[in-house]
Amino acid sequence: MVDEATENLIRVLLVDDEKDFRTVVAKRLGLRGVSIAEAAGGEEALRQLDASPVDLIVLDVKMPGMDGIETLGRIKERFPNSEVILLTGHANARDGVEGIKAGAFDYLSKPVEIEHLYRKLVQAHNKIRRSLDEKREAAFRERIKQQMVVAERLAALGTMATGVAHEINNPLAIVQESAGWMQQILAKPEFGDMPRKADFDKALERIHRAVQRARRITQQLLQVVQTQITEMPDPATLTEVDLHALVQECISLVEQQARLKQIDIVLESPDPPPIAWTDPYPLLQVLINLVTNAIQATDAGGRITLALRASVEQVQIAVQDTGCGIPQSDLSKIFEPFFTTKGVGQGTGMGLYVSWGIVTKLGGLITVESQVNRGTTFTITLPVKN
Amino acid sequence: MFKTPSHIMLVDDEKDFVEMLSLRLKEIDETVIPAYSGAECLEILDKQDIDVIILDVKMPGMDGIETLKEIKKQHPLVEVIMLTGHGTIEGAVEGMKLGAFDFLFKPAEFDALTEKLNQARQRKHDQLERIRKAEAAMLLRRAKI
Repeated sequence: MVDEATENLIRVLLVDDEKDFRTVVAKRLGLRGVSIAEAAGGEEALRQLDASPVDLIVLDVKMPGMDGIETLGRIKERFPNSEVILLTGHANARDGVEGIKAGAFDYLSKPVEIEHLYRKLVQAHNKIRRSLDEKREAAFRERIKQQMVVAERLAALGTMATGVAHEINNPLAIVQESAGWMQQILAKPEFGDMPRKADFDKALERIHRAVQRARRITQQLLQVVQTQITEMPDPATLTEVDLHALVQECISLVEQQARLKQIDIVLESPDPPPIAWTDPYPLLQVLINLVTNAIQATDAGGRITLALRASVEQVQIAVQDTGCGIPQSDLSKIFEPFFTTKGVGQGTGMGLYVSWGIVTKLGGLITVESQVNRGTTFTITLPVKN
Repeated sequence: MFKTPSHIMLVDDEKDFVEMLSLRLKEIDETVIPAYSGAECLEILDKQDIDVIILDVKMPGMDGIETLKEIKKQHPLVEVIMLTGHGTIEGAVEGMKLGAFDFLFKPAEFDALTEKLNQARQRKHDQLERIRKAEAAMLLRRAKI
């Protein structure tokens, strides 16, 4: 968030070749609380703007070297968000009009009345602030819109996947019982010396394992469903949860796995520890999932940081790794069911989908930021009790 | 454990599943009677002595919960194990509240199923034993008067 006081301060670059004029204007505007930087010509002004950008420029039109109109053009090209007020010679309205056509906020003719200039500066400053606010609002709206699109997509995919899971469970049970029956028969004494018995046993064992794998997938899919059955979490399961303690429990469960890969896990927590109003066990499941993913994505010597943050309305848990990162093109898909970059049999692509479902059900939000080869940060935002 | 002769009924609308699971249970010398709907289950119960029922929650027509209610109303001593999908665990919870012995997720591990089956059978056996003792005590008291 931008500091209000900083945003209210009017900062101006004053460009004029007459030093005395600059000194007087700077002093008098300074008395009105305006912060002034000075430049003696167009080139110097551009150099200064490159070094320390200022949004408001007061620009003399008649200067040796690069004149005001040309400088204006360059400024507008390089800093499209800035506003420029031109100072024109007396009775030379043509320069002013030309300047406005080239994008100046307004023009004043010399000699300048300071009060007048100050009012113009305030107007231009407000215009900049307004457009900044509008841009921020638009960005915020865009972000919310994208989140909603993702949520809708996931919900639709979920409905579909659940239906499939339900329908697959029944034939799966038949496969399991049929193979199980054969195993039972083969285990009987009279089958002890059946030809190629070991081959049959082997094949039936594979069927059994495959059924179990398929069953784990359908179970995970159906776990997410419950999100869609009940929009709001059951209040009875919500309690005050000390996030510091919860994250520590998570760390103790994955520590060994991290140590094997020589990865440090660090917990950053404010004092007193943040308290969330949530259901601890599913949340722990999500954290374990995120940290396990982070361990898998991070090379030896890397670091995983679990950071807690709290404000009046919400608490955040960030899981940040120094791992391989997620390509931009994958970022919008990682929460979808069955999306995985791991090899066959290594990941079902259900972990983040289930995590998304759980966090959504808890009334929270899960977001991701990532840079390839730099690392990834997952952030869970949860409501606090009000 | 010593197996007392008992009758198990398996209720599920999925015929292949009922057939296969019955074959497995018969392989370990259980007597299994199949039923393919709640109504058929209740019909059989009227005619035949059944100890334990394995009952699917999700069935077309009369579902597992309705069937369970009727079973418990008409034959309160019969033990019922509910078979539930993961999406219908609420059904399992409701079933337990209505007097089901326990529940299993479907597809269930065979060992888990036989273990629950034995426990259910044992409970029915114990319950009958207590009833017999109570009846004996009652007769004894009457005889003394």
